[in-house]
Amino acid sequence: MIVEGGVLAIARANIDTDQIIPARYLTRIDANGMGEHCFEGLPDGAALLSSRPGAAILVTGENFGCGSSREHAAWALKDRGFRAVIAPSFARIFLENAYTNALVPVALPQQVVDELARAQHIAIDVAAETLRADGGEPIAFALDPLRKQFVLGGGFMQYLAAKIPSVRAWEAAR
Amino acid sequence: MRRSLFDKVWDAHVVEELPGGNALVFIDLVVAHEITTPPGAIAIEREFGDRLYEPDRIVAMIDHVAPAKDSATALQAQTVRTWAKRQGIRFHDIGDNGICHVIVPERGYVTPGMTVCCGDSHTCTLGAFGAFALGIGTTAQAGAMLAGCLILQRPKVMRVEVTGELPRDATAKDLALTVIATIGFRGGTGYVLEYTGSAIRALTMEQRMTLCNMAIEAGATTGIIAADATTTAYLAATPSAPVNWFAQAADEDAEYAATVTIDGSAVGPVVSWGTNPGECAPIGGSVPSDADATSLAYMDLRPGQPLRSIAIDQAFIGSCTNSRIGDLRAAAEVFRGRRVSVPTIVTPGSQAVRRQAEREGLHDIFQDAGALWTHSSCGPCLGMSMGVLAPGMRCVSSSNRNFPGRMGDGGRVHLAAPVVVAASAILGRLASPAELEPPSVALSASSGERAASATAVVA
Ligand code: SF4
Repeated sequence: MIVEGGVLAIARANIDTDQIIPARYLTRIDANGMGEHCFEGLPDGAALLSSRPGAAILVTGENFGCGSSREHAAWALKDRGFRAVIAPSFARIFLENAYTNALVPVALPQQVVDELARAQHIAIDVAAETLRADGGEPIAFALDPLRKQFVLGGGFMQYLAAKIPSVRAWEAAR
Repeated sequence: MRRSLFDKVWDAHVVEELPGGNALVFIDLVVAHEITTPPGAIAIEREFGDRLYEPDRIVAMIDHVAPAKDSATALQAQTVRTWAKRQGIRFHDIGDNGICHVIVPERGYVTPGMTVCCGDSHTCTLGAFGAFALGIGTTAQAGAMLAGCLILQRPKVMRVEVTGELPRDATAKDLALTVIATIGFRGGTGYVLEYTGSAIRALTMEQRMTLCNMAIEAGATTGIIAADATTTAYLAATPSAPVNWFAQAADEDAEYAATVTIDGSAVGPVVSWGTNPGECAPIGGSVPSDADATSLAYMDLRPGQPLRSIAIDQAFIGSCTNSRIGDLRAAAEVFRGRRVSVPTIVTPGSQAVRRQAEREGLHDIFQDAGALWTHSSCGPCLGMSMGVLAPGMRCVSSSNRNFPGRMGDGGRVHLAAPVVVAASAILGRLASPAELEPPSVALSASSGERAASATAVVA
């Protein structure tokens, strides 16, 4: 699976979920239609997005997705066309949400991220856990070996559903 | 290996070790609210025949926007309402509602040693009971409702020891902000914060909840405090008075991946100046000289500016951090016989808290002071329904997040303890209660007379 596209760089640490999608848009009972409000909580969000129309790879700062648990942040990014986020680190809940929504979370050291922020185009080979910026040398990164399968093939809920018998057995023996 | 309290709770819930350091962790209680539950509940209905692992292991409520503010939020509430009814899930509808992290403990739903999850980051609040309680996304919550478990990476454990005794003017909120400032806004990432020490043992359950509530603001998976006699007494007084649990504690000389020690006696009133909860300073101090420029630009502040010189436009007491009865009592002591000088909203954490406050006459004190006393809701905390800020408005708030736009697009938030919010509301600028003049004699008459005179003035 190759995830590739244009790059939007937002070189800022601690972009929280209120900035990715403000609470006033958390009023739906489905996961659709959040993209139009993506980054509305970022003071210069609209300008940044229009500077790179159609960008599919977000390159950003440390602790991306901190704050609330809202999966709406991952939904908004996906709906806006993003397929991967590259950052030095992610907040835990956002990271889990990214995996379940096949928004590839790529963690790399700050200086590598700084270089990638200057790229025009990034191609990520999810299975091989490597990426290339503007056709350059491959850069290796690491995904969670279990959650990677949810990025490649979805099926998070099916995976858990298949565990129900062993969970019930465990509970009975508890 | 000598185990931490967290290790014991975790080990007692691992169903299966999974690849890559993950584990399948059994969940004793799923808390479901109207903002994050509907897509997951609908997915289970559509794709898994509406089958839940165990409806008795779920409790649902309307809390964020209560009552609904428009048709969209009404549909969210109605979706949870019909789902809970259909599934026979315990449900707290409006009228019996409250913020989930206030309702769950006050009803006795959480007990020591449990695992709890909710599609809400402040679920860490419940760690105050010696439970492993964590926030998760909508899909993970749906997974827990479907299969009774979560896939989790085992977090490391950081011992946060708070020694000595908190001074009289320091609150659990000040301690929570001090912990974040000490370990850093992302310093807890990958960790559970296990709080120990004499200053922790001396906290009430409500204060422990305030402290654990903000573990997520340091990036931590959650916070946890060992149950003790304080916990037992609190649980015994809840409506369900749960007894089927036993207290666990860390082994002596348990191993921790990291240890931080904070001198409790050095904690004092703290207020945030920036755009994350780690950016805070003692209220008598100033904006740091090396403060982040982006934060300062958003907050319209400059380095070196005394915090007490910052004028405010609104004050808010409420949220899952500081809206319980003890918080309201403390704030009422500051408001008693005084008047606010900016719009002030006081929002109890649950309808039960509201009724208790009214039995004690606290609502009269708030209203005599000129504050708005509301029904329970998350309310202004997340800028979604009531009390939303306009761009540039500055609010001092007892809530937990001061991110840009959190309480309204362009709004500025200063986090503080309820007593500091009250003092600031009175003086119209960031202030500590110690700065207030004694209340005037005329205003310290009985609440009934005050109410009458306030009405007369309006007439
Ligand atoms: S009070 Fe605020 S922080 Fe707490 S659950 Fe509600 S919205 Fe979230």
